[in-house]
Amino acid sequence: MQQAGIIQKLSERTINRIAAGEVVERPASAVKELVENALDAGATRVDIVLRDGGRELISVSDDGCGMTADELVLAVERHATSKLADEDLVNIATLGFRGEALASIGSVAHLTVTSRARGSDSAWVVQVDGGKGQAVQPAGHGNGTRIEVRDLFYATPARLKFMKTARAEYGQAQDVIKRLAMAYPGAAFTLGDGKRTTFKAPAVGSLAGDARLERLGVILGREFRDNAVEINAEREGLKLTGFAGLPTYSRGTSSQQYLFVNGRPVKDRLLLGAVRGAYQDFLARNRHPVLALFLDVPPDFVDVNVHPAKAEVRFRDAGLVRGLIVSSLRHALSAAGHRASTTVAGAALGAMRPENLGNPLPWSPPGGERTSLPKGLSDASFASQAPYAGQTYDNSQAHFTSSDSLMQPSARPVEAEGDIGGADYPLGTARGQLHATYIVSQIADGLIIVDQHAAHERLVYERMKKALADKKVARQVLLLPEVVELEETSAARLIARAGELEAMGLVVEAFGDGAVVVREVPAMLGDTDIKGLVRDMADELTDMDEALSLKERLGDVCGTMACHGSVRAGRRLSVPEMNALLREMEATPHSGQCNHGRPTYVELKLTDIEKLFGRR
Amino acid sequence: MRVAHSTVLKQCSGQWIRPNFIDRGEVIPAQVLGAILCTLKNPAQDSQRHKYEEERQIMKFTIERNSLLKTLNHVQSVVERRNTIPILSNVMLEASDDMVAFTATDLDIAVIENTPANVAVKGSITVPAHTLHDIVRKLPDGAEVELSLAEGERLTVKAGRSRFQLACLPKEDFPVMSAGDLPHRFKLMSEELKRLIDKARFAISTEETRYYLNGIYLHVAEGDSGSNLRAVATDGHRLAQVEQEMPDGAMGMPGVILPRKTVGEVRKLVDEFEGGVDISLSDTKVRFTFDSTTVISKLIDGTFPDYTRVIPIGNDKMLEMDCKVFAEAVDRVSTISSDKTRSVKLSMDSDVLTLSVTSPDSGTATEEVVAGYQADALEIGFNSRYLLDILQQIEGDSVQVQLADPQSPTILQDQLDEAALYVLMPMRV
Repeated sequence: MQQAGIIQKLSERTINRIAAGEVVERPASAVKELVENALDAGATRVDIVLRDGGRELISVSDDGCGMTADELVLAVERHATSKLADEDLVNIATLGFRGEALASIGSVAHLTVTSRARGSDSAWVVQVDGGKGQAVQPAGHGNGTRIEVRDLFYATPARLKFMKTARAEYGQAQDVIKRLAMAYPGAAFTLGDGKRTTFKAPAVGSLAGDARLERLGVILGREFRDNAVEINAEREGLKLTGFAGLPTYSRGTSSQQYLFVNGRPVKDRLLLGAVRGAYQDFLARNRHPVLALFLDVPPDFVDVNVHPAKAEVRFRDAGLVRGLIVSSLRHALSAAGHRASTTVAGAALGAMRPENLGNPLPWSPPGGERTSLPKGLSDASFASQAPYAGQTYDNSQAHFTSSDSLMQPSARPVEAEGDIGGADYPLGTARGQLHATYIVSQIADGLIIVDQHAAHERLVYERMKKALADKKVARQVLLLPEVVELEETSAARLIARAGELEAMGLVVEAFGDGAVVVREVPAMLGDTDIKGLVRDMADELTDMDEALSLKERLGDVCGTMACHGSVRAGRRLSVPEMNALLREMEATPHSGQCNHGRPTYVELKLTDIEKLFGRR
Repeated sequence: MRVAHSTVLKQCSGQWIRPNFIDRGEVIPAQVLGAILCTLKNPAQDSQRHKYEEERQIMKFTIERNSLLKTLNHVQSVVERRNTIPILSNVMLEASDDMVAFTATDLDIAVIENTPANVAVKGSITVPAHTLHDIVRKLPDGAEVELSLAEGERLTVKAGRSRFQLACLPKEDFPVMSAGDLPHRFKLMSEELKRLIDKARFAISTEETRYYLNGIYLHVAEGDSGSNLRAVATDGHRLAQVEQEMPDGAMGMPGVILPRKTVGEVRKLVDEFEGGVDISLSDTKVRFTFDSTTVISKLIDGTFPDYTRVIPIGNDKMLEMDCKVFAEAVDRVSTISSDKTRSVKLSMDSDVLTLSVTSPDSGTATEEVVAGYQADALEIGFNSRYLLDILQQIEGDSVQVQLADPQSPTILQDQLDEAALYVLMPMRV
């Protein structure tokens, strides 16, 4: 019987179990801790096995540096780590640093750690059951460490009740492993459930862009690899690398956006806001780009000791990071402004294929069923930005790639170049108009189909946006200033950005605690719902640290006007008119997609057309 | 079971099932019965049938096409084109002694009009308002229109050789808007009401979130020269304020906000009537009575902002000029502004007003106008559309603009009509 009101010191075991509640929330978090340990140990190979969603067994084996018998004893103790050299938590260069993981897991499960230190000739094993450690014993094991966690949460039945189905927990763990695998292309990863391997990422060498894209392709899919632009920017000691999907290759959710800070996967509202800001012109509100960004910052620039599972970090200068992300994304996207997603052309070709499928031609090249893949579709003139556009098979299938390349025709269809004057133009020369809606133009090695309305709309939109950016946004002063009640913190956040908002035509002032008063609004919005607008922006500042609604509203007005002010489908165009449109598209940034992320033109390579006819 | 063959058929195919038919305890699905009877030959003779139907008439009247059209014109605009409650698409017809009452409503406004007609059988029903209106509109001028309804049938509309049958719904389901107790009553001449509405309604806000601005605020204002009846409308960018001499009985009335739709309906009716309009109101409803037409409307349940605070006092820079010249010049220079903002810049210096518009796309425009202006030079920007809206309301030849500085509200006033005043907020370009 415990007496109420008397303060007692908790036992070591209880302390560990409480800590475990924060660190080991579910099997996936145990997996995360263990895989991070493996990576911190310099592993080049990490094999993970989860049985019954991790409840029965979690096993993580690596070929890292391993531990000696003395180290093993300490390793399972709480607050024991080899990773924290200085004690002020400023320079943290490893994934882990608190020395809590093994002790926490050990307090809620049966934990077995077997390890052989590099250079040592014997392996040792230590076992921990529900927080009670046993003596270190000799064991047989290769280089590296194997950790086995059995009956997770057996010691904390409360947590056990909150476990989801084995499948759900397995999925979570797989997600964690994929994130880590993105950040460590140098290490090979396998994940299995004891019967079969469900995820396999072979090591692809260094951290260089190519290797990284290769790894991202394995995880995010081959299409991502074909539709990504490389990000590589540096500013004031911060380095941002990674790959961002083209706007035409977008998704319905934002779940495929990954940010890594010093190799550590983090979920951060900063990323969401910056990404939406950068893509704001190219995508409809409900579409989200796919991307993986790797931010390398000096260890003292970031505080990772904010969240028990380290899912959030804090930057010393968040504005700098946001600026870097937005500007480098925008820069990369403008450079790729003319690269519509290859999936578009791939889909077009796919739509043409079915007639052939019933009657496969005898001379189809090996792997011919793969030809509906967007192989080589991306524009050659931008090929430099798409280093992997042509390579569609991963390493395990490398022999296909090589045999395929043998089938390349030795002669390129160059004769066309002579008779078209527009060979120098990336979008070629207009050859005609189909259904008074689509412009067909011939280029040196293929043809281009342009949606005339979408293309012209984008051109008008870009022009309006430029005009809007060149001059100040005209503001209508309000006769009846609108008072908007907000939460105190939201109001403060909004006021902090007042200068930025004023540049976009919205003048807000603080109005006591928890309210703002709107004095002037952008004149082009007319008689608008000011309260709604301000509330939306306050929410966005909270969620993403970025107020996009206003910009989007202005963009919407421009978009509507652009739609009305542009050439409609159904209008006949003369050849000079069509050519003028093509030339303007070449000169205008971001003309490869319309305001909603749909492509404005599709390019079909001659080689692909030849394939349709079974000529290759 | 013995039932007249035609009756059963009607019951099966029409939408009414006569309760007495069911009451007999015959349990035969209507569709089955219909199918059987359709295969039999109709034993009833045409004449017999006619006679039978005469007995079953529940409403019948004839009315001259033009007066029917006029009435329908008055009531049908209240009816929304799309309704979630089907009966709201209908107009209610109630035939009594030599008079038919037409009622239409959208649950916020009801318009009722009584029209003389040759009523043969008194009764009532509701029919789709827009359909009936379209039919009557297309009938030839001067035609006699007969509307009749037999029990269990559709409404028959006959004119000349045209014959229509319209689906109808029973009158009992039609929502009746009761005006309730309207303690305040006064009379306005139709020109006075017209003036109040016309000069204020352009400034009504269309933004639904500030619902309390979606109408004209009608209230009693205490001025230097005693009390006046005042109408105010604003959308937060500009404001219109019009006054009228206090009518008898209006003293002590609550300030009310007339919804935009009601304002539109009343304005339409005002044009067609001369003489006085009876207005009675409580703090939730208002009723306008023209000769034979009544409009009952809910009022906007909200508080109109204290607009008097935003009407500036002491704007000392006076610009006086010919209203028509001003309006034409604004209209001309604003041609150049292609974007949505439509801003025009006014530069005033001794007796000259220069209007200018700059558009990055299309170029620039300037126009110089002679004006009466003696104060210090001033530059100020306005939305040209707002400026034109106001200038259109000014009936006199000349307009007086009272300015303070480029950020502050500006007053525009008709020099002939001191009782109307407009406030406009500048734009910052």
